[in-house]
Amino acid sequence: MMSLGSYLMVSGIIFSIGLVGVTTSRNVLKVLLSLELLLAASNLSFVAFSKFNGDYAGQLIVFFVILVAAAEVAIGLAIVVLMYRRISTISADDLKEMKW
Amino acid sequence: MSEFFFYLFAAVLILASLSVVLARNPLYNVLSLVVAIFSLSCLFVLLEAFFVGMILLLVYAGAVLVFFLFVVMCLDLKTIALTTSQQNRYGWLGWIVGLSFVSLFYLGTQSFIKAQTLGVSSIRGTIENIGQILFTDYLLPFELTSLLLLIAIFGIVSLAQGVLSSGKEVDT
Repeated sequence: MMSLGSYLMVSGIIFSIGLVGVTTSRNVLKVLLSLELLLAASNLSFVAFSKFNGDYAGQLIVFFVILVAAAEVAIGLAIVVLMYRRISTISADDLKEMKW
Repeated sequence: MSEFFFYLFAAVLILASLSVVLARNPLYNVLSLVVAIFSLSCLFVLLEAFFVGMILLLVYAGAVLVFFLFVVMCLDLKTIALTTSQQNRYGWLGWIVGLSFVSLFYLGTQSFIKAQTLGVSSIRGTIENIGQILFTDYLLPFELTSLLLLIAIFGIVSLAQGVLSSGKEVDT
């Protein structure tokens, strides 16, 4: 069995990759996909801590995170489709209406 | 044996999530996220969290990512590829942030003494064990998530109504 530290390191690497995706990509779909990576990384560390601490609460929180992520993705993709219909692009830079 | 599988699935997970961020074609982004979620649920099984791993496969790879794929197909692929191939002026800044986060996590896990010494416990995340706690101690959050999903449905329906009324040019 691997140590807790190696699982946390994998989770940290995935989190950083997702963070790079959120900050560098302009495509709104790609930003949503990278947000999924961030949630997946936190899920992995929750499950690892749950296993090594002997507490089921971590796995339950992962269950709730999955539910919330499903709702978030549904709303986010609806907004992306709406954005594509209104301004026929999904680049985040073209959302300038609230710029002052 | 379990070490071998850990390194295998961790490597697949990291490569697939790099491909999520780096691939140009949005279809490849979504499909590599499916691979990443699959190897993540394999890691969950290695941690003996069977129920959560199965839910992750069913809900994420089964429903959420198919939904993503559906939206990518709905939108015009050429437009998406066009927006992604544009150069981002501040892209290097994001890479610096990502690399510093990796080094931060490395330092954190190295200095976190408990991470090296904490032994593995004997808990097994089977449906029986998870359900026992879910329906006793965590009943209120579980019921509140149903409210959250209901609110999500309301939000999507109101967004879709906006599309329909703007498409038909009718005043409400």
